[in-house]
Formats: sequence, C-alpha cells, structure tokens
Amino acid sequence: MSHLLERLQFFKRVKQTFSNGHGIVTEEDRQWEEGYRQRWRFDKIVRSTHGVNCTGSCSWNIHIKNGLVAFETQATDYPRTRPDMPNHEPRGCQRGASYSWYLYSPHRVKYPLIRGRLLNLWQQHRQQGKDPVEAWTAIMEDSDQVKQYQSVRGLGGLVRASWETVNEIIAAANIYTIKKYGPDRIAGFSPIPAMSMISYAAGGRYLSLIGAAMLSFYDWYCDLPPSSPQVWGEQTDVPEAADWYNATYIIVSGANLPMTRTPDAHFYSEVRYKGAKVVAMAPDYAEYVKFADLWMPVRQGTDSAVFMAMAHVVLKEFFIEKQVPYFQEYARLYTDLPMQVILRPIDSTDLDDVKAYASDRFLRASDFDNSLEQTNHPEWKTIVYDQDSQSFVCPNGSIGFRWGEDGLWNLKPQVGQQSITAELTCLGQEDGIVMVGFPNFSEEQAKLDYHKVPARQFTINGETVWIASVFDLLVAQYGVDRGFADDNIAKDYQAISAYTPAWQETVTGVKSADVIRTAREFADNAAKTKGKSMVILGAGINHWYHNDMNYRAIMNLLHLCGCVGQSGGGWAHYVGQEKLRPQAGWAPIAFGLDWHKPSRQMNGTSFFYFHTDQWRYERVEADQLLSPTAKAKYKGHQLADYNIIAQRLGWLPSAPHFNQSPLDLCQQAIDNGADSEQAISDYVAKQWTDGKLELAYEDIDNPVNFPRNLFVWRSNLLGCSAKGHEYFLKHLLGAQNGVLGDGEEGQCCQEIKWHEQAPMGKLDLLVDINFRLNSTGAYSDIILPTATWYEKHDLNTTDMHPFIHPLSEAVDPGWESRTDWQIFKGLAKVFSELSAKHLSGTYKDLVAVPLMHDSPTELGQALGVQDWKHDDNIEAIQGKNMPVLKVVERQFTDTYKKYTTLGPLLRDQGNQVKGIAWDTTEEYEFLEKLNYTEMEAGVSQGFPSLADDIAVCEAILSLAPETNGEVAYKGWQALSKKTGLEHTHLSSTRRDDKIRFRDIQAQPRKIITAPTWSGIESEEVSYTAAYTNIHEYIPFRTLTGRAQFYQDHEWMLDFGEGFCCFRPPVDLKDTQAMPDILKDKPHLRLNWITPHSKWGIHSTYNDNQRMLNLSRGGPVVWVAEVDAKSIGLKDNDWVEAVNANGATVARVVVSQRIPKGAAIMYHAQEKIINVPGSPTTEKRGGILNSVTRVIVKPTHMIGGYAQLAYSFNYYGTVGSQRDEYVLLHKIDDDRIDWLERELTPEKEQQRNPAVLK
Amino acid sequence: MDLHYFLYGIYPYIVLAVFLLGSWLRFDYAQYSWKSDSSQLLSKRYLRLGSNLFHVGVLVLFLGHFAGLVMPVELWHSLGISDLTHQWIAIIAGTIFGMMALAGAIILLIRRLTNSRVKATSRFMDIFILIWLILTLLAGLSTLPASIHHAYENDPSVMLVLGEWVQSGLSLQIQSALLNEVDWVFKIHLFFGLTVFLLFPFSRLVHIWSAPLGYLMRAYQIVRRKPRTL
Repeated sequence: MSHLLERLQFFKRVKQTFSNGHGIVTEEDRQWEEGYRQRWRFDKIVRSTHGVNCTGSCSWNIHIKNGLVAFETQATDYPRTRPDMPNHEPRGCQRGASYSWYLYSPHRVKYPLIRGRLLNLWQQHRQQGKDPVEAWTAIMEDSDQVKQYQSVRGLGGLVRASWETVNEIIAAANIYTIKKYGPDRIAGFSPIPAMSMISYAAGGRYLSLIGAAMLSFYDWYCDLPPSSPQVWGEQTDVPEAADWYNATYIIVSGANLPMTRTPDAHFYSEVRYKGAKVVAMAPDYAEYVKFADLWMPVRQGTDSAVFMAMAHVVLKEFFIEKQVPYFQEYARLYTDLPMQVILRPIDSTDLDDVKAYASDRFLRASDFDNSLEQTNHPEWKTIVYDQDSQSFVCPNGSIGFRWGEDGLWNLKPQVGQQSITAELTCLGQEDGIVMVGFPNFSEEQAKLDYHKVPARQFTINGETVWIASVFDLLVAQYGVDRGFADDNIAKDYQAISAYTPAWQETVTGVKSADVIRTAREFADNAAKTKGKSMVILGAGINHWYHNDMNYRAIMNLLHLCGCVGQSGGGWAHYVGQEKLRPQAGWAPIAFGLDWHKPSRQMNGTSFFYFHTDQWRYERVEADQLLSPTAKAKYKGHQLADYNIIAQRLGWLPSAPHFNQSPLDLCQQAIDNGADSEQAISDYVAKQWTDGKLELAYEDIDNPVNFPRNLFVWRSNLLGCSAKGHEYFLKHLLGAQNGVLGDGEEGQCCQEIKWHEQAPMGKLDLLVDINFRLNSTGAYSDIILPTATWYEKHDLNTTDMHPFIHPLSEAVDPGWESRTDWQIFKGLAKVFSELSAKHLSGTYKDLVAVPLMHDSPTELGQALGVQDWKHDDNIEAIQGKNMPVLKVVERQFTDTYKKYTTLGPLLRDQGNQVKGIAWDTTEEYEFLEKLNYTEMEAGVSQGFPSLADDIAVCEAILSLAPETNGEVAYKGWQALSKKTGLEHTHLSSTRRDDKIRFRDIQAQPRKIITAPTWSGIESEEVSYTAAYTNIHEYIPFRTLTGRAQFYQDHEWMLDFGEGFCCFRPPVDLKDTQAMPDILKDKPHLRLNWITPHSKWGIHSTYNDNQRMLNLSRGGPVVWVAEVDAKSIGLKDNDWVEAVNANGATVARVVVSQRIPKGAAIMYHAQEKIINVPGSPTTEKRGGILNSVTRVIVKPTHMIGGYAQLAYSFNYYGTVGSQRDEYVLLHKIDDDRIDWLERELTPEKEQQRNPAVLK
Repeated sequence: MDLHYFLYGIYPYIVLAVFLLGSWLRFDYAQYSWKSDSSQLLSKRYLRLGSNLFHVGVLVLFLGHFAGLVMPVELWHSLGISDLTHQWIAIIAGTIFGMMALAGAIILLIRRLTNSRVKATSRFMDIFILIWLILTLLAGLSTLPASIHHAYENDPSVMLVLGEWVQSGLSLQIQSALLNEVDWVFKIHLFFGLTVFLLFPFSRLVHIWSAPLGYLMRAYQIVRRKPRTL
C-alpha cells in the first residue's frame, strides 16, 4: 500500500491501547523492515578465517549474496571442550568482523600495478627489440635510468599493467640478478606462515627453488623471545588459551589480553569466577588491568626487577627457610640447578686480600680423567653431584646424549639405567665458602656484587678449581642471606641491595609490600596445586633490548615454583607466533626441500640492520654492555662486528654469503679441478681462510653485495615492522626519507670496510603482493593483486586453540587478482621460459649453512670461542667454527616443473622435524593417488601434482604428524629410539585419523599430538608447553637437557648474562641532537612505546573505514595529562615526535591512563591515512618506526652451542625498539602541511633532509 | 498566451501538481531519501547560529504568509484587525523575520561552500535550493519599500489583491488578471516563491512534511502488529 495513503489514515491508526493508554497497537505497514532484512539475506555460507598476524585463527562464516561477500559472522560450531571447561567460541573481534569491507574497498589492488617510470623504460627497451632479460640489463646498467624510478618510490605514479608484462619484468630481474650477482642477492620476506600456509609456501617455494634467501620474521618483529631458546632450546611453545582456565593464580605482564587476544580473553575473565587471583603488571592502566585483583604500575622496561625480587622472596622463604618437597623434586629433575659450574678466579683488587671468583662454564664429563666413561661427546655432557653414591656423575639427558648415541637422551634421574639423586646444594659438605662476584647492571656503571657461595674443590688437568652448583650460585646471585656472615648480603627485605623487594621499589616504583605478598601467594599456590601458577606475558616486556632479562626473570620464578610443563601453570607468552601446527608437512613444500637441500635462509634482523645501513648510525657501544668479569676478546668491537664474527663462525647465516656469486665460486672451484661437492666446499673454504674471499657483510656497502630484488608478500614490511623505517627508505630504497643523523658512527667498526659515501637505493626491484595498497605498496615498483582471505583455499592454525582451520574460496578472486600459489606458479613459468635462453643447463650453487639447532652441528665449540680469522693457530673446521658449505645443483629451466609437483627427495629421504626423522613413502604414494601425478614429460613426470591450492593443502595435511595419525605415530617411534622411553601412547589412540581439507571446511578439527610440540592434545588436560618434558622425561633441547637458569657460553658470561639479572633500558642517544625549532620551544622527551592496537592487527584494519570510524580516523600518539599540560598540549592537537632517526606526525590523545614520561603510539597506523608532512624533515610525517632503529645484541648471535644455535625464526638477533626516546612538540594547525604539491625536479633531487647536529 | 498569463495563470498549477504528486511519489518510492540531510555530524561550527536564525525566520514567514494570504480577510476584520493594521503587522514582522531568515541562510550558504567536509558531501540541489531561498527572501524583502509606501498612503489594496489571487489559485479558479496592476517586485517574489514549491519534492525540503510534531503527543510504546495475511 502507498505509504502516503496509509499516513492519511492517521486517525484510524490506533487499533488498541494498553497500559492505561501509555501504549498503543497499530497495524502500520512494516515494509520498511524489508530493507534491513535484505541487508542480511544471503545465498550461501562458506567457512573461512582471517589470515592476519593476530594469533586468532577464528572460524568465520562468510555470507555470499549475488556472488559478492555480503558480511561475515562468527562460527559457533567448534568441537566441544570437556565438562567443567568453557567452550572456545564465539571467536572473533571487531577487526575480523570488518574484513569484508576490504574486498570492495578503494584500497583493493585490482590489477597488477607498476611504477610508471619503470614501465616507460621497459617499453622503450622492449620496443628496440631487446628480449626481457636484455631489456632489464639495459636499465640496470644505466644508473640514471635506475635512479629515475628509485627516487620516486613512495610518491605515487603507479600504473596498471598486464600480468604478462609484470611477470616478464620480475622474471627478467631475477635472471639478471642470478647471472650477474648470484641468487643469494634475491630475498623474500613474508611473516607468520601459520596465518596462511599455502600463501607463504608459494613464495617460499619459488624463491627457494631459484636459490633466493627467505628472511626470518619472528626475530625481526622482536616477537621471538630469545630467552625461550636460551632456557629451553624451544623457539616458543605456550599453553592454549583454555589452559588459563586451569590456573589458580595468574600474573599478567605486558600482554593486553582483551585488546590483542580478544577471542581468547573470555578464559581470562572466566577463570576469575572459578576463584583464581589475577595480578596485572603494566605501566599504564591498560585494558587487562581492569580484570585484575591487584595492579602493579611498574615503570616501563623495568619488569625484570619486579620478578627478580619475587624470586628473591621465593628463594628465601621456600628454599632456604624451609624446603617444599615438590619444588625440590622439580628443581632436581627438570632444571639445571643441580648442575656443577666451574669458578674462575678474577681480579678483585677492590676486595682487601679476599680472593674472588666468577662463575664460568659448566663442568663437563670431559673434565674428568676417564671422561666418566663417556666416549660420545663427553665435552657436551654436564655433571651433577649424586647424593646416593656421593660422587660426581654424568646424568642422562644432556645434549651430548642427543647425537651419536641412542636411548639415554632422557630426563630420568639416572646415569644410564642407574638411579641417582642430584644434589642441589653442597652446604654441609662443602670444601669451603668462596667469594663470587656477580655482575650488577642496575646503576650506570656495571659493578660486581660479591657474595659467599659454598663450593667443592676439584682437579682438572692437575689444577685445582672450585666448583659450585647452579643452585648455590643462584641463591647468592639473588642476594639471599644464608647465614655466611656475608657483609654485602641483604639482611631483610627492607635492605636496598640487589635483588630485594625494597631495592626493586626504587627501580620500578612498585610497592615492595605488594611484591612480597604476590611472591608468597604465587609460590604458596604453586606448592599446593603442583604448579598451577601462571605468568601471561607478551610484547610489552619483550620488545626491549634486554628482553631476555625480563623473560628469564619470569622463567626463573616459574621454575623455582615448579610451574612450567604443568597444566594451568607456566609461561604463557603470546606475541605473534601463530603456531604453524602442521610444520613438518609444510616445511619441505615451503622451502622446496622435496627437490633441493638445503634451502637458503637468512635472519631478518641482521639482514635489515646491515642492508638498510642502520649499523652506520649505531650509537650504542658493545663495550658499555660488557660485564666487569668479561674475558672480552673482542674489546673495542662494535655490535655490527660481533655479527660478522658470528657469521664467520657459522653461528648466524648470511645472505648474500660472500663478495662473489655462489654460482661463480663453484665454477671457479671446478675450473681449479674440484670434482665433488666436498672438493668444491674445501676449495671455497680455503679461498676464504686464505683471505681471497670475504663475507659479503664485511664489505656490506659494496654494490656487489647489495640485495637486488626483494619480494614482500602477506606483509606490510615498510609500513609496519620496519624499525628504522627512514633508513629503509634512504639506503635500501633510495627514496625521499627523513634520516636526520649523519651516520659517521659506523666508522669505528673493525670488521667492516668503510665507504665514505653511504649507498642509496640498493634494491633494483621491490615487488609487493597484496590485496590492499598499503605503505609497502606505495614504495614498491610492482604490486601484484592477490586473492583475499575469502577468495582462496589455504590453511590456518594458532597456538591459542588446538584446531586447524581452512581459508576457503567463498567467492572467486576479485578483478584480476590471483591466489599467491597461482601468482608464484605463473612467475615460475615465465622464469623457466626466459631461463631457457639465459640460464640453461645445470648450475652449482654454494649454500653456506650455519650450525643448525636440532642437528648434529649444534655441537660446535664446547669449551670456548675459537675464531680462526685473526689467529693462525686455530683451524677453521666446517660445522665447528665455520658454516657448512653445501653445493646445490639447480636447473633454473625446470623451476616451474618442480614448483608444481612434489619432488622425489621427500619419498627417498623421508621427512624430519626437530631432529626426529621418519619414512614418508606411504604418504607420498597416497598423494600420488589423491592429487594425481604430472603427465607431461620432463623432470617432474610421475610425481604428485601441486598445481592447485587444494592439492597443496592436502599434501601438507597428509605429510604432517598433526593431521595424519600414522605420521604422528612414526614420529613418536623415532623419538622413543632417541630417549629410550616409550612415547607412542601419546598419539596411538588417533593413529588411524587423517584430517583432510574438506573435513576442516566442515568443522575445525583438533590436531593430533605430535613430537613437533612439547604439549599434548588430550581429553584430560589442556595443551600446555613443556608438558612432555615434565611428564614424559623428554629433555629440553638445551646443553644440560634441563631448563637452564644458567648460560655458560663465553659471550653470555662476557655480557654478564650467565645468570639473569636486572638490566635497565639502554640509552640509544638518539635525542642528543635537537632540531633548531625546538631549542627555545616547549617540548617533551618521552620514552617511545609502540604496543599493539585496538583498531588494527598490526597495520591491517588500521586503514579499514569501519575501524577508522570507530577510532580517531588517523594516526595518534597518547601522552600523559601532566606531560601534556607542561607544554600546553591539548587533546587532538597535532604533534611531531622527532629524533636522529627521523620524525613522525600525529594527533595527540591526552590521557590520565598514560604514565608520565612515556608516549604511546599504537602499532602500525598506516602512512597512507591522514599523515601530513613533518616540519623538521619536510618529508611525509612517517610511521611509528620513523623514530626507531634496530640495535642488535651480541648474546643473540651465539651459535653452534646446543640451544644457542641458529635455526630459522628460532634464534638470532631480534629487532627491539622500545628503549627509544623522542622529542615531542606541538605543531600549530596552520603549520600542518599535507605536501600536496607537484613534484619538482629540485624536490626529487633532494631526497635527504638536512642533517641534525 | 502571454508570459504573464503563463506565470500567474498556469505555472501555479504546474507547481501545485509537481509539489503534491512529486512529494507523494518520493514518499512512496524513495523512503530512504526522505530526510533533512543534516550536516550537523560533519561540522557544528556556525550551524547553530545559521540554522536557528534561518528556521525561526522562515517558519514565522511561512505562518505570516499563510495568515495574510490564505486566511480570508473577513476573519481578521471580525477580530478587529483592520486591513491597514494587518499590512503594518505584515511589514514589521516580514522585515524582522525576513532579515533573520536571510542572515541565517547566508551563514548556512557560506558554511556549505567553505567548510570542506560539508562542501564535499553537498549535492548540487543542496546548494541550489539554498541559493534559491536566498533569492526568494531578497525578492520578498525588496517588496518592502512598495508595501511601506502603500501603507503610508493608507492603501492596503495590493495586499488584498495578492490574497485574493492566492485564494483563487487554491480554490482552483485562478485569476491571473488580478495581478495585472501589481508592482513588478511583487511578481518577481511570487515567481521565486512559487518555484520553491516546484523544487520542493526534489530537494531536502521534503523534511518539512515530516516535522516530528507527532512526538509531542505520542504514546510511550507503540506495538506495530504483524500483518495477519495468510
């Protein structure tokens, strides 16, 4: 009926009244409701999820209408949990719910895009009749032409191109680079495979097949806690969110659960209804603080001091004043506390006539005359004192038992099959009490705290030394009084000396009474529940330079209380690791290991630190970080120098490896008569030791060592994680940048050749693959349009819950976009075709592999660092103190064929994970039938197909123990052989389970317990880390096989981190130079904190209109009310944050929530959204990382030393950025410049701002 | 047919038809467009002043025109208001509220054209209707000298003729000849004013139909029963 005619019945409208006329009933037309109904109507539902780095893995129903995505809703059909346990669902958050906006948004990359100037050059050369590789060569060999397009990176000018054109250009660039410089000059960056495994694998596979280097991300993001490898030999393993519910006492520190773990936070809330106490530590009144019973407002960056003080209380009250049987037993079995450590005499002139010592390395079986009858790796076997036999013994489980023998690598309290009782303290039986100096860094100048330690005497090589247990040393190091008439020791908690509660109050501002009470409750709870005390921790405390101190302080507390490995207890670190559950099935495909071994991998942090030339601006001196007891062979070396040494000794990887092409090196070797892999390898090693060859990083600014091509996909490297963003722009890209420092500091480096003129524009080609045009795309030369998370088939898993998830193609890829698997497939095809002319035949490629964790080479140098470069008496041995030089044969013309089939190595050599290997013939044959085999003649004929995305998913699911019960069984069997214990019972009930792609599309499926991980999937306990270490006696993959309080590597001791201690944030000296305009203008000097945000997951969603509407719609910096008032700042004023690294501009949010002295700029607010120019640099205002730079830590470079050995994303330098300070000042509204002017030639020329003096 | 006859004999019916039918069609077929399109969310600056001046002014002008032109003169005579008094009231009220509405409309126009957010979201008709209203107001205010002149000469006849013409139109027997002798300024104002009604269904003015007066009287709770079909 007509709306108008209906309105004309106004007086007949009321049909009935009720409630005394307060209510009326009408029969008005309700057609208008149709509008709303139509909005939520759909044709079908498809299950998918969001492949974003949030550790979420939430199941979503995607609703399709008329072939378009209409909206998404949270799926609520997860498998149920057991009784008395809340279910997982609904999972999701405001960010995921807004994803469908992207599909049809203005940010969507619809077609391949290319920098217009580059396309012009390309077309000119192509029209002259050059083939693609010749055309690329012509551009590259004219530096003016290169500069033409490099200098306008980030300034727009992208135009549409066809897939054929862009594929040709990229393939030509790759071929040119391989031919001219070597494949190790091509790199790929893509993070967090778990968020979309097939997509990661696509690029990883293509790049690995052509010999390019994949860059690690977890360490670069600084989400990797190096403490975890240090203490457990485990990258990171954590409880699932549901296990929070099993805890009865929780401390949360630096993990903003409701904000960044939104779908899981309900467990955090529910456990409180069950009666758990929650203590929150945060400098600001963060969202998670609202849930807490107690808030400890800790000064940012000082968290380790709080936990040191808590452990001080626990040691005193639960170990010295009384002993808790559970704690004692746990310490004996699972920690290195009973291990014996040699004490080294030190210069102690500050003590009158008292001889003092420092703790040195662990005592080893090899220190005994007959090596305690250990013939296999005795120098890698640590020692305890057995109370039963009253002698030193070599217990099972240390790393020496892991390689070269079977059956004794376990944590049973045994020597062989003989039972022992490891002694924690020798007190009562000591040979004497000696004075030990422990480094203390809490004041400006590092000093030694001298404390008395009970010790035994022991003779090594005829020399008598003192030895003490880790426990006895630890008690002294924590400053706990044991009645030794120690003048330096704190007599009570009120004493101000390391590490008492009163002392920590002076450092952290947290009330000492709160710390004492919390410590007591935490330990008391753990004693009563056998370890159900938990610490949830995260980026807030991990992104500091000394993050390992923050973390190890917590781990120490947890180990003292026996919490690690117990359901409801332990260490719950949640920072972007998104557990790649079917890792073992995925890795061979992702790195092309089914065709070639090994693949080339590089640690991201070191790569970027060097190639963006941030090392040239390094203002932190390594010497300042040394312990007073350091042997310090490398005194005077800079941080960058340590990295070079680490590469030389095979500790860290390198890419590029050498100052010559790895293809040419092999050819040279062959020309000189080398006829085998060994001969080539020996020839190159000889060249190197003779000084005829050098590491690329020793001359990093030489054009032959530049990285030439970089692929970025599934990532927003430049707009997000690029700590030192402006250095990226300046040196790597040669673009307009805001670097304000002069970069003269790097001259002090001793291992690196100095180039007076720093290079600008190292990259020839930056390729971005994305569905949205973000800050990285803006700086790229080519952008390829990829399918969104609702347009492709893929896999997704998380550590937050035990289910494996699909991403599904709910609608076809929009416009000209393709899935990542198809993008790299297409590229591989063109690359193979062009190679026929330019790279035909077989090439030998030299790959330098570092001493890998979980492989026999992790047993590098047991008793001290032997650097062969500067000492002729030291022999360089591959796999000991030099990388292993491997030769890989590549047929570049077969790249496409190899990419699209599962190669024969997997069938012939089996598969492995964490040093456990098994046969895969059965799975391989299954895939031949399931995926069909390649028909076309050639190298791939007869092999299972990987042409389609789903085929890849099926291959991963079939090969991984987590999704194929038979494989899990084989994995446990293999591990059982190593440990001598029976483990197959952990997965035997699911031996016949096979999870396939359509299964998980129907419902997320719970994975199968696999030896890849340290917890179990069971109906009795929730998943928790280290569960199998504690309950199955599987050793931690560390030197001692136990969780380690003590790190005895020479560099660890040099840098004073043998034991965990408190180390304050580092002074980066980035605010010493000040812009002129600030000299007489009110400004603030603030600590620059960049936590994860509410309205985005990293940079994703930050540019989403729905999120922009909910937030302030552009970049903001939060500042404390008192700070703001002091310089007359009002909420929403524009401000600039500036230091020597660059400048960033944002609006200010003035809030009482923020502590004085800190500025919070939430992570990765996009540079392309409402960012004006900076008045200081006169360039675009920048991002959160425009004012940061990365600094590397030498202790993270250690390798070839059991748990301290390199593995991709496992160990290595990390990109911390939180010690940074900025100067912040107001910009008047009328001085805001949006830089919306034409680009003039002068402006284009002037890429750098004036240097700040 | 001359222009005068078209403008004041035929055009009013075109206007009336478009105004009524257009409003009806829009109300029935474009419910989502039936709104005032307020830009208050985008910018509050100058809105309160401009909008209030304009709305108060224009509402009183509308009522004044209605009372003076549509209501029969006999009504006012019976209330003891002579034609001359009537004219003076019209002049004074018209001046005050006409100036108010004009000032308000100019503020709104300046805001609409200079505020970047409001400008970016303005459609052609939003700006055009505002300009048209300003022109109508200016034309209306320019009739004042003539009206004052008439009032001084104690001659309300023009006012009465205009009323008679309006009433003839509304009673569907329009006599364009009534306006033959009327001063041209009045005719211009009439043309502009009529055209406002022509533009009405195509602009945001439709919100006038839906002045939310019902809220003053409505019940606390309204239950819209589901239609009992099938």
